[in-house]
Amino acid sequence: MNARRLENRVAIVTGAGQGVGEGIARRLAQEGATVVVAARRAETGEPVVESIRSAGGQAVCIVTDVSVSESVDACVAETIRQFGRLDVMVHNAFMGGIPHKLEKAQIDKHWTPMSRTGVWASLFCARAAMPHLIASSARPKGEGGGRLILITSPSGVEGSANIPLYSPAKAAQRAIAKSLAREWGEFGITVNCIGPVAGSPALLTAFDRNPALQQAIEARTPLGRVGDITDDIGSVALFLASDDSSFVTGQTIICDGGSFLGL
Amino acid sequence: MSVKVSGEGALAQVLRDGVHSDTRSAVIVVDLNGENSISSLTELTDTHIDEIYEQPMQRVILALQEAHSTNCERIVVVVPTTGMSGGACYAPQAALAESARILVKSAARQWGSTGITVNAVAVEPHWFSIDANISGPVAIAPRSLSNEVSPVGVVTWLCSEASRDITGQTIVCDGGLWM
Repeated sequence: MNARRLENRVAIVTGAGQGVGEGIARRLAQEGATVVVAARRAETGEPVVESIRSAGGQAVCIVTDVSVSESVDACVAETIRQFGRLDVMVHNAFMGGIPHKLEKAQIDKHWTPMSRTGVWASLFCARAAMPHLIASSARPKGEGGGRLILITSPSGVEGSANIPLYSPAKAAQRAIAKSLAREWGEFGITVNCIGPVAGSPALLTAFDRNPALQQAIEARTPLGRVGDITDDIGSVALFLASDDSSFVTGQTIICDGGSFLGL
Repeated sequence: MSVKVSGEGALAQVLRDGVHSDTRSAVIVVDLNGENSISSLTELTDTHIDEIYEQPMQRVILALQEAHSTNCERIVVVVPTTGMSGGACYAPQAALAESARILVKSAARQWGSTGITVNAVAVEPHWFSIDANISGPVAIAPRSLSNEVSPVGVVTWLCSEASRDITGQTIVCDGGLWM
């Protein structure tokens, strides 16, 4: 039997109280990582932790508001206090996405929440994690390797007709990843993005309300379905977190069943 | 017909002096200043993010809205290629450039049914004072063309009636550096 790929590694996953973040947290824990479920509310984070533990994994919940730099700093500091290291930082948390007309969009209502949780928070997470990711990469081969993973969206590449300001927030994350990939290469840290289309609670609720939406998405997707948060999206995050991807940096993996083929 | 060019700096002035159009148009030069690079991310403050990314990005959104409200039929957003290539020590600047470039696609999707075209022109980073010695190379090969490159021609075309079938695109005008 192969050793688990993230044995002894410590990962923080923001927005892990539900959806894609939850799936990533579960998948990393399955491969041996100690996972910090960084959730805005303990009511969502703690059940994920309990579920991971009951499956034999290791996890803790640290309540974190990613839009506040001090909260992100405190999450990382508490992770180091409890576990002594941080190898993988996954920033997934995101707030916003209200459909709007661009010409009538209001900065405070339609843009700021997405900018704060998408763009600012990516920089907060990167900044707070940086010294610990450097330390992880300095460990002997096979015992560490700093990884920053940002969860973007296919809309960050192709734009959005329904939520136009969602796209620039997600596009920024790809540019940040490329920039930090260049900047941190000397330390051996890799920085990558995942652009998922997955069965998050928000999307599944939308399907319930509008079955035609589900049919439309499945029809345009070569694999004919949306992704599973753990087996499909979590597994891509696992690849990017593991030693298997040690020569991959500055990239975006679109994980959507082949719906978007424009890269 | 005059073209409204918003933005500061040498590039905005070159476009203000050189671009003319037969169609009501707006050109938005993103307010990106490469002189404020951040040597290490640990030095990045919230104030930096606000000044380098947030405020200029909000100005792009408002400029697009103004262009729409004044019935512009052609809108062109000018950014450096740094958003596509990334740049060491320029993460917030690259984020701004790419946010603006992709917002162009969203605007094109929403406003296309009314005949408005929205496109981006990506130019060499030096127009925005981005130092290639700091950011790292834009591409794996040298620039294809050796002549001095001006974006006036391509911006003029995107502001014209002749480009009415082109929207949501990025034209890279850098002499063949980024491909």
